[in-house]
Amino acid sequence: MIEVKNLTKKYGDHYAVDHLSFQVEDGQIYGFLGPNGAGKSTTMNMMTGYLAPTAGMIKVNGFDIMEEPEAAKRTIGYLPELPPVYPDMTVREYLAFCAELKRVPKKERLSAVKEKMMELGIEDMANRLIRNLSKGYKQRVGFAQALLGDPQTLILDEPTVGLDPKQILEIRELIRNLGKKHTVILSSHILSEVSEVCDRVLIINHGRFVACDSPDRLEMGGKGGTTLLVAAEGKRADVLAALRTVVQVTDGDLTEDQGVVSASIDVPDRQDIRGRVSAALFAANCPVVEMRTKKANLEDVFLELTEGEEQADQDDQEQTDSEAEQESPASDKEEPKLHGEEEQKEDQA
Amino acid sequence: MRAIYKRELRSYAVSMTGAIAIAVALLIMGLMFRNYNLSTYHLLTFSYTLNNSSLVFYIVVPILSMRVFAEERKLKTDQLLLTAPVSVGQIVMGKYLALITVFAIPCVITGFYPLIMLRFGKETIKWDYSALLAYFLMGCAYLAIGMFISSTTENVIIAAILSILFVFVTQMISNTYTLMSASNFAALIFLVILAVLAGFLVYFMTKNYWAAMITISGLSAAWLITYAIKASWFSGKTEAVMKVLDFATHFNDFANGSFTIPNLLYFISAGAIGIILTIQSVLKRRWS
Repeated sequence: MIEVKNLTKKYGDHYAVDHLSFQVEDGQIYGFLGPNGAGKSTTMNMMTGYLAPTAGMIKVNGFDIMEEPEAAKRTIGYLPELPPVYPDMTVREYLAFCAELKRVPKKERLSAVKEKMMELGIEDMANRLIRNLSKGYKQRVGFAQALLGDPQTLILDEPTVGLDPKQILEIRELIRNLGKKHTVILSSHILSEVSEVCDRVLIINHGRFVACDSPDRLEMGGKGGTTLLVAAEGKRADVLAALRTVVQVTDGDLTEDQGVVSASIDVPDRQDIRGRVSAALFAANCPVVEMRTKKANLEDVFLELTEGEEQADQDDQEQTDSEAEQESPASDKEEPKLHGEEEQKEDQA
Repeated sequence: MRAIYKRELRSYAVSMTGAIAIAVALLIMGLMFRNYNLSTYHLLTFSYTLNNSSLVFYIVVPILSMRVFAEERKLKTDQLLLTAPVSVGQIVMGKYLALITVFAIPCVITGFYPLIMLRFGKETIKWDYSALLAYFLMGCAYLAIGMFISSTTENVIIAAILSILFVFVTQMISNTYTLMSASNFAALIFLVILAVLAGFLVYFMTKNYWAAMITISGLSAAWLITYAIKASWFSGKTEAVMKVLDFATHFNDFANGSFTIPNLLYFISAGAIGIILTIQSVLKRRWS
């Protein structure tokens, strides 16, 4: 279990992490979500003892990282943003070094290294210099390093960045498996990854807590339940009348295109009304040509939540009336949208 | 600590820097040994060889120490070390012991040279080995300072240049004593300048304007008051202060047969200061 209370990191006058508090329960996969510069890496670096917090407390599996750093670090496996590998070592040498560094007993060292190499599918690379490995393999070597010493908690900073789609799927599968034995915290700005792998999602922005919940609940909590998209042939008035027998609709929800009327219906309470809608339209002699439910996905929720934050930010800034600072949120504002685009591209790929 | 020590040694072996450093040291010392003891000058004490081998430090110290922390920082592998269950002290000591081990190799090999000279008589053999010990300790002190310099930057070239500069100052400073005015007033000015430098250092380390100002004004005021009360206290102080950095003279005292504890402690404490500063500098980075 990891407890973070009022965690703050200041660089000069800038708050990279601003009074962040959260708890990570054992045996769960936690997703740490936020746009670039939200403070994800800084928080992770503080949780692993690489950086010291300006204020606040971090307790890892019962040990305070500031007061009992060695005991706390023993329970953590950390994969930073860039895998911390030495290019002049072979994979086997590097992992043997890490095993010794993490105080794996001498007798178990070789077998532990071998086991982790098997687990990550890098045993063929064992005698290659890390310098000559591709980004994906380096990432896996970094992963193997984090797993050595069988830590209770794994902290992974953007574990799938720079991998090809097949590798991403493999790493996700691996994380899911690891989640059975370890508590996993991973950071990402890729929403589909988080919603697919994680049990809980923690959203932060500008170093501040935004939301923390299961992906499903976050989706529900967003724009409010599901949206049903229906397209039927027939007259606009007929379709409207038929729909009104089932659910509340206004004329504004309807669009007409070449004799096909499309409706976007907000469905309250996530109930399933597809059967009734279909029956009503059929009875009104308006054959249904298309019908699908559109969930408010995590992406919308994320944009909504982080943009709300930025709005609040700008209000803050107007109060302080600082010109220099006013420029930064304006440029930041583009960011969540950019990620949205990235996300779409990835889905297409 | 053992893991780090072994990895560092391995890296010196694989990257050839260790081999180059050892080869350069042996080449210079061998050449000097030939010139001063075996032929040309036919001197009887080995310390002349060592005394004229200070060039070794200009080359070996930067080669060995420049990468120690700067490279870790550049490769981000310091994240691995600092998040592993080892203390910063253990990391620094592991690396330092590896540095010393590499430097010990040419020193041990040169340890055979006085034996060659046994055929000329064994009167000086004690001096020879105490000089070699002093030489080794001086190297250890340089390597500790070099390691500290490496821990302050990400750039190995800057680390190398700064450590060469440090060797240069500590070897050459004795040549500047005669340049300095011996008057008490000059010593006062010198100490005030040092106070200002100390103030800059405090500001650089704490980024606190007031702490720096208090350091400068406090030290300067103390010296001005001392000067007003007893100006003679300042006589010879310039040289005394500069001698703190004078590795060469301390080595010569040591090498010329005066095996004294203060000289021994001088090099050991210089090394210790280097190690402590390194630990502080690594820790400081976590906070800033």
